Amino acid sequence: MFSVIVVPADCRGPDGQFRLEPGQSLRFGRQGPGLAIAHPGVSRSAGQITATATFWTLTNLSRHQTYVVENPEGAGEHIKIAPGRVDAPVPFEFSRLVIPAGDELLGFDVWAPRHDYLDDHEADTGEPTALSFPLDRSKRYFLVLAALCEPRLRGEPHAPLPTVEQVIDRLRPIWPAISRTSVQWNIDYLAVKLRLKPPPEVALSGGRLNGKKESLVSLALRFDLVREDELDIIDKGPQP
Amino acid sequence: MSEEGPRPFTVQVSRGYRVGRWEVREPLATGAFGSVYEARRVGPPEPGDPDDLPERAALKFLPTGTRTPRQLRHLKDLAHRELTLHRKLSRPRLIRMYEAVTVDDPGNPALDGATVLVLERAEGSLDQLVERSAPGPVPGAPALLAQICEGLTQLHHAGWVHGDLKPANVLLMPDGGVRLGDFNLAAEMEGTHAYSPAFSTPDYTPPELLWSEVGERGQLIRPTADIWAFGTVAHLLLTGALPLPGASRAARRETLLRYARGDEELRLSPELPDAWREIIADCLSRTHEERAEHSGTALLRRVEAAAGTEPAPKLPRLRPRRKPGKILSTALAAVVVASIGYGVSTLTDTGSGDAGKGKRVDPASYGASELRTDKGIPVEYRKLIVDSAHDCSESAVTPALIAALLKVESNFDPNLSDPAKDEYGIARWTPRVLRYYLPDAQRPKTGNPRPPFPPDVSIPAVGRYLCAIAPQLWTTLPGDRRVLVAAAYLTSFAKVNNAGGVPPKQRPITDRLARYLKEYTPAASS
Repeated sequence: MFSVIVVPADCRGPDGQFRLEPGQSLRFGRQGPGLAIAHPGVSRSAGQITATATFWTLTNLSRHQTYVVENPEGAGEHIKIAPGRVDAPVPFEFSRLVIPAGDELLGFDVWAPRHDYLDDHEADTGEPTALSFPLDRSKRYFLVLAALCEPRLRGEPHAPLPTVEQVIDRLRPIWPAISRTSVQWNIDYLAVKLRLKPPPEVALSGGRLNGKKESLVSLALRFDLVREDELDIIDKGPQP
Repeated sequence: MSEEGPRPFTVQVSRGYRVGRWEVREPLATGAFGSVYEARRVGPPEPGDPDDLPERAALKFLPTGTRTPRQLRHLKDLAHRELTLHRKLSRPRLIRMYEAVTVDDPGNPALDGATVLVLERAEGSLDQLVERSAPGPVPGAPALLAQICEGLTQLHHAGWVHGDLKPANVLLMPDGGVRLGDFNLAAEMEGTHAYSPAFSTPDYTPPELLWSEVGERGQLIRPTADIWAFGTVAHLLLTGALPLPGASRAARRETLLRYARGDEELRLSPELPDAWREIIADCLSRTHEERAEHSGTALLRRVEAAAGTEPAPKLPRLRPRRKPGKILSTALAAVVVASIGYGVSTLTDTGSGDAGKGKRVDPASYGASELRTDKGIPVEYRKLIVDSAHDCSESAVTPALIAALLKVESNFDPNLSDPAKDEYGIARWTPRVLRYYLPDAQRPKTGNPRPPFPPDVSIPAVGRYLCAIAPQLWTTLPGDRRVLVAAAYLTSFAKVNNAGGVPPKQRPITDRLARYLKEYTPAASS
């Protein structure tokens, strides 16, 4: 029941990530326990991340250094956490925590995939039955999901899924920096966010990414996470 | 908080609109997926109609048309679930469906193709009653709860999970009774669980479903989810407040998570009478496993006792009782056999306890009083088989039963691998099923366990699985209880209940199994 994922800088897969449930904390600093950032310029005990509800808070345990939390998809959006500040709330779904160390900038990523969004049906009071997949339609993962679903939404229900290269070509006009890595990263993130259960055949055979893409698209179509009338986001980009 | 007027109806239908022989009257209620209108019958009854086809009914419109401007695919799935349940199941405490009509009106794309269920007309729903009552307990709450619990038991016994029990889905009938309705999220069980679309009503959702994994078929749901929701409804009706405190839904979710983690205890309202407090605390147990102990008829009897109502009629008649006396005596015989078996296993327990004090345990004769030593059961699995059976207090789950199952499933082959059927190991476990019968320490955090599944993993999981399904079988089923449990293991307990015994298709395999069961059981304990 985790709500926050901490991804160390050199982490290349789920094994190195820290998954925090609401109420759980993770310390970081030059030494363990917790997340070790081996650099002489980092305080022995530099800070602490606490998952709180669907967001997280940051405690800056250093004496002199201000930490910056950037929103990598936020066009420069960031917050500063002063030394000694306890439990500062961070509102971003994706964050990069930047720690100055000597003349270097170190850091790691923190994801908060359980943010809530108002659903179509939730605008009024009462106790609505709600879809439990809140998605932020202004995020890049939504673009990737829309591009993956597009052929099946527009035409054939059994159309082949676009390849990663086709997704790149389709999205490049509105997302110039798109790359194979970023598309794959977003596919992996969507699987975490949508709580996708790995299908058994994927666990057994080698076709990891393809199986994941297929499961994502069938889940998205089954629950109308992307609708045909939303596909113009692919041409126009997310509306602010 | 200011009211912004009534909630807009999901499906707009004007007064006087005709659907088949029904004419739409007043709007009654709306939900996220469909809207309900009152209707009047304008056509005469037709051949094949039920005798009691009413003059007035409730029409539930589910916008499943293909030309609706924003086609919502999942609505088809939801409408299908509700239709299937109504077609398969009619029980006294479930709202009744008279017929289903598809709207044929090309001139009206918003309605064309909509599925319309013609349902029993209710007076209102429980949430309206809660809203209109003064703060505090809802008048008549205990009797209402007994009826809601009766409805749930009827649903579970028929092999279905409701998936969205809440006051809005409990309907009040003109005679003062209640019926369960709104089966959009209902799911028919396969074995001990079902798949439901990943929708939920947060305040009535058990912790394990809050952020649960979702597979291609939806999320896995079990009857214990309805039990949790029942505990929540009971607390609401008896005290006027939800059991978990918090000013907003998000705050209550935090309380739920803290409670589920064990950081917080349940603090039920002090005004609850003791009997109800125990019932609600059991229904709101933290885990599925704890709640599973309180499901079914036993819960209904406690609720009825607490409510002071007459016990509901026995559930449900399995099939016409042609020879009631005979069936009864067979069932009785099965109970007697089972209790003898239980007595023996208790004795053996004492035996193995002595062994633990220092006597040598001989694997070849381990549990010999319950499992024969001369019938080819591999010695290396005897202890696993006997101990797994003893971990379960269900008398039908015996070492001989587990051994016979392993014999017919794999002929005791620990290396069996059948990727075509997705079954592996000595017990032919399917990874996605095995996951739920592993102890927490062995269960992967995410995803399914991966084969190989060695015997020390597979066999205890068989014991846990049998132990979970055995209490779900009706006690009135005729025949050897152990064979019935095995049949439920091979299909599902709902199929066995509904077939009134071993389903015909399973007979060849259960006949083989019964032979081994007899062969493996020592004369003294059979």
